[in-house]
Amino acid sequence: MLSALFSRSAAQAAEPYRLRQASVEFRNAGKSWGSNQVLRAINLTIAPGEVVAILGPSGSGKSTLIRLINQLETLSEGDILIDDRPTRQLRGAALRQLRSRIGFVFQQFNLYAHLSALQNITLALTTVHRLGEADATARARALLDRVGLTEKADHYPSQLSGGQQQRVAIARALASDPQIILFDEPTSALDPETIGEVLQVMKQLAHSGITMVVVTHEMQFAREIADRVVFIDGGEILEIATPQSFFTRPEHERARRFLNKVLDPLHTEDTHHADF
Amino acid sequence: MLTFDWQGVLSGQPLQWILSGYLTTLWVSAIGMVLAGLLTGLFLLLRLAGGRIGRGLVATWVSLFRNTPLLVQLLFWYFAAWNLLPQGLRDSINAPHSGSVLPGDVWWLSPEFLCSAWGLAAFTSAFLIEEITAGMRAVSPGQVEAALSQGFSHQALLRHILLPQGLIYAWQPVVGQLLNLMKLSSLASGIGFAELTYQVRQIESYNAHALEAFAVGTVLYLLTGMVLGLLLTRLPVARQKPARQARTSTQGEPQHER
Repeated sequence: MLSALFSRSAAQAAEPYRLRQASVEFRNAGKSWGSNQVLRAINLTIAPGEVVAILGPSGSGKSTLIRLINQLETLSEGDILIDDRPTRQLRGAALRQLRSRIGFVFQQFNLYAHLSALQNITLALTTVHRLGEADATARARALLDRVGLTEKADHYPSQLSGGQQQRVAIARALASDPQIILFDEPTSALDPETIGEVLQVMKQLAHSGITMVVVTHEMQFAREIADRVVFIDGGEILEIATPQSFFTRPEHERARRFLNKVLDPLHTEDTHHADF
Repeated sequence: MLTFDWQGVLSGQPLQWILSGYLTTLWVSAIGMVLAGLLTGLFLLLRLAGGRIGRGLVATWVSLFRNTPLLVQLLFWYFAAWNLLPQGLRDSINAPHSGSVLPGDVWWLSPEFLCSAWGLAAFTSAFLIEEITAGMRAVSPGQVEAALSQGFSHQALLRHILLPQGLIYAWQPVVGQLLNLMKLSSLASGIGFAELTYQVRQIESYNAHALEAFAVGTVLYLLTGMVLGLLLTRLPVARQKPARQARTSTQGEPQHER
């Protein structure tokens, strides 16, 4: 089912432009807001098809890091190469073309509030990718089926639960058959009960050929599904490791404290000394 | 005592004038509204996609037409701007054409009609631009980011995401501006445009039936305004409630840690 849905034939009709290989490479990338430097000297290479989890405390710059990839934030220093090509200078149509190859899933879902679940998916197909109405609808129905929401096609976002909205948002991000998909804390705004259904969808997507970068607080997801874990704090990458080694023997002192607090919040020694 | 002679207004030449004036008012309002809509769309796109220069141009346009009297603007278009057009163009507009008369015998290819429609449209667009911008600000910024991340152009973003929702939020003020346009068309009598107000005043100087003539004119404006207002608030866009934004998103709060 998966391979049929993400097959290249449908996508090629929709979008002739494809990345030759869906790699992402940060080269000394940095981001500042005025004098406040939120990311510095980021060097990271993500291979095509790889699943990378980005972990770190709140305010560490994780979200900014992935928002730089499709230029929802503009880079201040360095460059980001996608498909081995620098992207910093891309503007206008070239930037739109690149963005259409990269799916993005937001913490707050950001579904188009005036459109039904189905229309949320078809809109980009008909306007950006120039697909016919019938083709777009068929593709959208297949995607809704894929995320288990066949019945909800005609529901509006306000009529859906958080978990359902996020699954529609994932289906929408997949509409253009992107080769890279970015998740910005996709489960942080969800009720605990609905987190599972979203993680299930993400798990099925992982290792299907698409490059996945996931900013998350879900340690179980990072441990079980990610190929590599990137730990970041204070705007710097402190550790890049396999989940196996990161979760059992983190090298960096800050990573050890972070894991302590996250995995065992009730028994953290320095709770009282934490700077609030 | 006060006595009314309605026959002096509702028959013969005065009736002809009133009908002709009323149809002219309807036509110039309709064309003015369409033109105002087009100008508004164009300037909203310029504000969204035109960078600093584009935003500056829009701000200048809005400031110019909101802060000067409409009558002065109409006089400017008619007496100054019109004469800046190439002579050949003006001649060809004034020359008789087969298509220059609208149903109801309203002559639209005339300097008076064109300057009135354009002047009313430019004036109204200045207000519509700001009101619809305010409506579009109520659309969560996350939806804009979602559209950008999907590769939407500014045009598609405006057309498919911002306008449909912004118009719903701003619809009541928009209706108010369109009604204003219809009523303000009376000021075009100041440039000799033979719409309803102009014709009513003509009756007054023709047979001194001022009270009756202005009463008929007032009733026609009132009825038109009521019918138009009713129609505009019955449109699908007016009956839609603004879509509730995603239940967890909170307006005004930053959506992302940076």
